[in-house]
Order: sequence, then structure tokens, then C-alpha cells
Amino acid sequence: MSHGYLSLHGYLSLSGPVGSSGVAAPHYRGSRYFLMALAAMVLGFFLAMSSAWADGGTGVPNAVPPKGEYEGKNVEQPIEFPHNIHVDVNKINCMYCHTYARRSKVAGIPPTSKCMGCHLVIATDKPRIKKLTEYWEKKEPPRWKKVHDVPDFVHFTHEKHLKRFVFDNEGMSVDRVPEVCAFCHGEVKKMTVAHKVKPLNMGFCARCHEANKGPFDCWKCHK
Amino acid sequence: MSGNDINRRDFLKILGWSGVGVAVAGCDRPTTVTLEEGKEEVVAYLQPEEYVIPGVGVWFASTCQQCPAGCGVHGRVREGRVLKMEGNPDSPINKGKLCQMGQAGVQGHYNPDRLKKPMLRKGGALAEVSWEEALALLEQKTGSASGLAGDRFAWFTGTVSGHQSVLLSAHLAAMGSKNHFIHETINNAVVRAVNQDMLGEAMPRYDLPAAKMVLSFGADLVGAGASPVHFSGEYAKFRTGSQRGVLVQVEPKMTLTGGSADLWVPIRPGTEGILALGIAKQVLLGDEVKLAGLPENIRTLVTGYDVEKVASITGVTGDRIMRIAKLLKERSPSLVLAGASVEGHAHGYQSAAAIMVLNIVLGNIGKTVLPSGSSAFPQMEAKAGGTRDLLALADAADKKALDVVFFHGANPVYTAPAALGLNDKLKNIPFKVAFAVYPDETAMSADLVLPILSVHEDWGTHMGVYQPEQKSISIQQPLMERLYPDTKGFGDLLLALLKVRQVKEYESFADYYGYLKNAFAALPASVKGDAVSDEDFWGKSLQKGVLNVGTVAGSLNPRMVEISFPEFKSDAQEYYLVPSARLGLWDGRHANLPWLQEAPDQISKVVWTSWVEMHPATAAKLGVKEGDFVKVTSAQGAVEAQVYVYKGIHPQVIAVPMGQGHEEYGRYAKGRGVNPLKILAPVTDAKTGELALYGTRVTVAQSGRREVLVKLMGSETQLGRKMVSTVTASVFDRTEGTKNVT
Repeated sequence: MSHGYLSLHGYLSLSGPVGSSGVAAPHYRGSRYFLMALAAMVLGFFLAMSSAWADGGTGVPNAVPPKGEYEGKNVEQPIEFPHNIHVDVNKINCMYCHTYARRSKVAGIPPTSKCMGCHLVIATDKPRIKKLTEYWEKKEPPRWKKVHDVPDFVHFTHEKHLKRFVFDNEGMSVDRVPEVCAFCHGEVKKMTVAHKVKPLNMGFCARCHEANKGPFDCWKCHK
Repeated sequence: MSGNDINRRDFLKILGWSGVGVAVAGCDRPTTVTLEEGKEEVVAYLQPEEYVIPGVGVWFASTCQQCPAGCGVHGRVREGRVLKMEGNPDSPINKGKLCQMGQAGVQGHYNPDRLKKPMLRKGGALAEVSWEEALALLEQKTGSASGLAGDRFAWFTGTVSGHQSVLLSAHLAAMGSKNHFIHETINNAVVRAVNQDMLGEAMPRYDLPAAKMVLSFGADLVGAGASPVHFSGEYAKFRTGSQRGVLVQVEPKMTLTGGSADLWVPIRPGTEGILALGIAKQVLLGDEVKLAGLPENIRTLVTGYDVEKVASITGVTGDRIMRIAKLLKERSPSLVLAGASVEGHAHGYQSAAAIMVLNIVLGNIGKTVLPSGSSAFPQMEAKAGGTRDLLALADAADKKALDVVFFHGANPVYTAPAALGLNDKLKNIPFKVAFAVYPDETAMSADLVLPILSVHEDWGTHMGVYQPEQKSISIQQPLMERLYPDTKGFGDLLLALLKVRQVKEYESFADYYGYLKNAFAALPASVKGDAVSDEDFWGKSLQKGVLNVGTVAGSLNPRMVEISFPEFKSDAQEYYLVPSARLGLWDGRHANLPWLQEAPDQISKVVWTSWVEMHPATAAKLGVKEGDFVKVTSAQGAVEAQVYVYKGIHPQVIAVPMGQGHEEYGRYAKGRGVNPLKILAPVTDAKTGELALYGTRVTVAQSGRREVLVKLMGSETQLGRKMVSTVTASVFDRTEGTKNVT
């Protein structure tokens, strides 16, 4: 139990209930966002140069990818977010947007402010970006539909899985993280909006835990 | 499921169609809890605070309001929702611990039956109105132009403290009224009166760890007492110190504390004072020096109580009395305490005074009974309540002496015995306003109901009724945004009421938050510590949640009071009724929290209902078994519940727990079990005027019905399975070489 000592003043006005938005007024500071956009582009460039990123990589070291297929349905989202353009074309690391994955049980949908960090200047003429900008100006985040989920009685944490397969995994580099994400989320870099292609059921989890010598006690997940 | 129109056949149909998930939701629209893709929404922050990580909780300090103890808490907040309560380690009251009532506080906040809109009685029924209308009505009835005479206005509250108490007093002063009724059914008002008269201080400090023995007459230290979590901690120190303290509990019905005692002594109700004097005589026997050192009046009082006489009155055998006296002599200093079962009689004050005499005889004053001193902020200290003010309200209403009464934090319509006729008498008060979170009995019989914020949404400051050595003010801050937009903070409403009376002092404050911030800035430098600015001090105070305010040393001056007892007659036909209190439903205020309903009673293990507890000998005499329904009848009414048979009760006592039998109070509380307070006789303690909760006699009759009594643990014994291994004291003494218990 970690007790964060943070005063509540200011907090009240900023966090909403689950499934709703924060309500703070965005601060338009052009230079700041320009720098962020620049940073994103530099990051993209760096990733593009990375040899480990190349398609047909040798696979994640010390890992046996889980087996199992699932035919998910197409889920219509408020904006048809193109994962492929971001990941496959521009080589942006998954954790650049899903920044909570390495710190929390949930990977988190990026806050709208993060999208706008780049899209205040990038591709502003595209219809999807126009739609995004509308949301931003209305101070309302898009209401995305959930695609990947596990039941409430399953305690799954992104943080621990990234630790095992990426950060504490010898011979693994952080820029190859999409290959690890693909274990459970499929090749998202080839998709536009996410599409469920793995069963994410207990057999799927258990086979992977067995193959990779993950914890096998009932209460590790059912607590 | 009672709220949904669904019968068994529909249920099965739905189950067949759509699977369990939908059926559990109880209707045919899709549930929001699903693994199906594209059904649930997942919405990101627009722009998150830097410290917010979805899925990771942040803890904020606040104060528990589940009972008047005022424990400091930390609330876990995740994605803007408060999810879990823990104790605040910085609080000198609970030192990081929290009881089940505190844990369940979060369920009160999310209770689906919370009041969401102001309601006004129109043509007999309550109807929703706007806040504008409600506040305009308040101004019309209580404003400066209302013509309402001060003494015809009253506040009726539970225990209040902190800045709410300051504002409430300011409002009373502005109204020109002195009528502040403070009501708590679970209280120690009689003991406080005795302490005030005999020691010069109502609530001295008890140093449990310094005592080598505690002799408790019905004081439920670790259960439904003045500060359950604090005394549980003190009790643990008392038991685990270099010499393990011995606890002897004397009471008519076993409490949670009694269940932990080394020696549990059942006693005939109302005779505790006699036993205390009998023990005092035994302690003094042969100790001429000590006897000579005592005041004359104590010597003469004590000498009248021979073992034989005491044994015949109390039903406690002579050798037991001598054994307790021997233990007390060997283990000095000790601590003798009086609790609810002592207070709740017509001579409750006399019994509690006799118990204090035993403390004086044992020389405990100044050793384990210590002066608590005072804080620099007497106006913020808790105003503890009792039942005298409940009777006073009934009386004032009966005499048509009140025109407007404001209710907050107390539910007199539920707790008042039927014999008081409070419901009818309240009709004499033309305008009753309830400042309430839940639709309890009092709110539902009020003329105007104002929905206030839950404890986790509101601001406040509190001082617990029992203050340990380090006196402190505990801060209550919102742990999340309000769930219902049409609810208002209690402090905000107090300020609004003051504005209605044009009290200049308070007009500059926009809200209670602003008032508190200002009040904190005005605190003396000694409290502010190393804070560099007012803003810094405010921030630090909210982070810590507790302000240590320093203690001004006091002193105790033992004095004798007149003690005399009535003659105790024995009438075998009738039983004494014990309306037992427990850490859980408390006085009934927690009956709307499912967690506490399903948490088994600590002694009987019964859940979700009321029961009638009796001794096996009594059950045999009445020819009843566990699960049989019996009717418990007093001169004032009757209640019917299932029998629970247990040895931890005096054979002449029938116990029915408090807390159930609500006629209102939402879906979890309403229509469940019975309320023993309703059948209490209108007997009061002669000296203090407090309701004698244990002063009712009842008859018990089988009603012929029988059902399984729902409880955890089917058997009182381990049936030889050795789940908890035990050894006898003599074996333990031989093998471990200790001599703890004689």
C-alpha cells in the first residue's frame, strides 16, 4: 500500500468519474506543442533507423508466444484511429501513447492532450484529425469502445508482463515492444482500430504461463 | 432483486436466452458489464493531472464519521472514485487502524438510496422541490424577518465537533436560541456525569497499558464503546506488555470485550454497583493503613457490604468476589471501568459512582485514571450526546414549545421508545427540517428534507469524543466529486443559514471551503509548526489530515458523592431486557450498509436479521430451541424474533440487538428484523435523566413458528476437530512456566 501524500486542492476540479473526462481547460501553448511534435518526429526517425525494428525480426528472446486465435468483430469507433500509420509507417513506440502500460495494470487510452501534442501541427487537414480537433475544442474526449477486456475476477497487469518480457528480459530492446504487445493484441500495427484476434481466456493465459514459467497459483490472477 | 418486476419464470426465460450475465442484471437490456467487444466504453482523460495513472490509486487523508470516535482515515482514490478506507497512521486516535464500520463508510457514500433532491411536504406527502424554493422557505421560516422567537427554535443533532460545531453555535446565537439537543443512543453520559462530579472532569484519560488488571463492568472497550479503534490498540498494549494484563468483565450479556476477558462474570442487571462495593470491602479487609487513609464517608459506605450480602444480591458467588478482590490487590495499579450495562438503570449514576469508589479505594486515580487536560480550542471539542435530550425533545414537542427544529446526524424517530410517543408529539412542531444523507425515519417524517453531501464529498473538521494524550483536530476533505449535483455540503448550508440571519462575521465567505481555509490561516503559530505560509500550512494540513493542537495540563480532584441503592427484589416471572449494542450496526445508523448487515455479529454470528439471545437454562425453561420465534413483551409493546441460545448471558436476561427494525432507511435496512428500543420502558436514571436502556422487564412466549436462524458457524464447539488447539491453564503453567492467570 503506497500512500501518496497529495493535497486535494486542485484535484477536485480535474478528475472525473470513471468513463468520463477530466474537465480542466486546455492551455494552448504553441511552442510547447511544437516541441512535443518535433520530439515525436525525432523519435519516429530514431525508431525507423533501428535495426531491431525491421519486419521479420528474430522473435522476442526468452519468450514463447502464446498460442490461440480468435475471430473478433469489427468495432466501430468514434474515430477510425489508424494504428498502422502510427506504428507501421511512422514507427512510434506503443508505449509512447499507451504510456501507463509500464506503470499500471491498465495500458490506458492516451489522453486527448497527447493526440493533440502532435496533431496541432501534423496532418491537420485530414478528416479524422479534424474530427479529433472538434473533440478537443469541445473539451470532450472521444468515447472509445473497449475491445480487449478480461473479467473483473481476473487480475491482469500490463506492468508485470512488460517487466518480464521487455524491461527485465536480457537481450530484449525496448523498441521491439510491439512484438510483445502482439502476444495478446495481435499485429496491431497492421490494423486501423484494434481488433480482437486472441482469445484472452484462461486457457490462453495458462498455456503461456506454463510455456514461459509464469506464476501458476490460482490467486496470482484470481485475487 | 425486490426492486425489479421479475418473477421466477421470467428469470429462467432470460437465463435461457441470454446467459447468466444478463439474467443477473434482472432485465432484458444489455448489461454494461461484459467482455464483448465494442459494448463497454473506455474514455481517456482530456488532459490528465501529472500524478494520475489510471489503475493506480492515490491516497488522501480525511476523517471517519461512522461513529463519534473521529478516527483519521486515508481514502484510496482511483480515476476520480473513492474505493477504499484505511486508518491514518498520523491520527493519535486510531494510529493507522480502522474498524469494520469505518471500512464500510465507502458503501454509505455509494448507497443507492441516498437523498438526491430537496423534498417538501405538500398535502401530507413529500414532493421534490428546487433548492431555490427550499432555501426561500428556510429564509421565510427562520430568517430575520420571520418573527420566529429564539426559544421556539432548536437544533437536534448527533455528536458535533470542529468548525461545524462552531458554526452551529453561531447559528443558535444568531437565532437567539439555547436549544441544542444532542442525541446518541450509544453513549457514556452517566459515566461522564459521575466523572464530572467525582473527579472534576467528564472524560478523563484511561491509561490501559499502565494497568496490570482491568475490571470492567460492562464497558465494551473494543466493541461499541467511546472510541473502539483507539481502545483496541490500547487493549493490545495492555495484553502484550512486559506483564500481560488480566481482564475481568462483569456484565449481564457478553460483549465483544467480554468475549476477550480472562474471566467473564455474568451478573444480575443493575447490581454492578453493589458488587463494586463488595469487592472494595474485600480489598480493604485487613489493610488498616489503607482503610484509615480513606475519607470517612467511603469507609462507612464500604463496610456495609459483606460478601454474603453482595453475593445474594448480585448472584455472583462469594469465592468469585474474593478472587477478583485478590487479583486486584496483587495487580496494582488496576483500572475499573463502568459501561452501558451499569448506566442503563434508574440507579445507574449510583452504580457508576460505586465503581468509581472502587477506583479510589484501589488508588488508581492519578495512575491509570488520568486528567485529560484541555485543548486550546474548547469550542471545537466534541459535544457528546445522550438520551436525555431525546426525552427533552419529546417533552418540548408535547408542550408545543417549539416551532422550528433542524435535525442533523441523529434519527430520533427510530431510536425513541414507543412509550415516548415521539411520532405524535413531533406533529406539534409545525416546521421540521432534516439535513440528511439518507431517507431515514426522521427525514421521512420531516416537513422539509435537505439532501446533504456524503462524508466523502464534504469538508469538515472533527475532534473525537475521546481524546488521547495528544489532542488533535482531524480534517475531513472531499475524496471525490459529488455524486449528485443537487446535494449541498452541511457546512455550506450552515453558512447559508447564518447569511439568512445577516450575521456579518460570516457574510464574506463564499463557501465552507473558504471559511475553513480562513479559519486555518487564523490558527496560532504553535499549531502551524514549520509551515512557511498560510497556503503551505493548509496544504500540509490536508496532506497529514490531522492537526495536533497541544494539551493544557489538568488535574483530577477525587470527591465523594451520595450513593444509595434501591432494594433489589427478585421476580422470577420476568426477564431483564438488554438492547445490546454492537460494533457494526451501532445504534441502527449502519443498517443500510450491506457489508455491515452481512458481517456476522461478533458473539452470535447471526447475519442480516434480529435475534433473541438467551441462556440455555432459560431456553430449556421456555421450551424453545435456536430458530424458534418468540415474542418478547414489555408493558410498552412487543417484538418477535428468532431464538439464539448462548451461555454468555445471565439466565434472567433476554438480549435483543439494536440496529434493525427500520421502517424507512432504504432498501437494505427497511423491514428487516426488530427494534428493541421501541419496547423500552420510559425509565430514566434518577440523577442524570438519561434513558435507562437496561431498565425494562419483559416476558417471553413461544409464537409457534420456526425457521433456520441464518448465521455463520453451525456449531458452538469444534466437534473435536482441533481447528483451534487449546490447553488447560494448569498444563500451560507446567509446560510454559508462566503464572499469568490465577
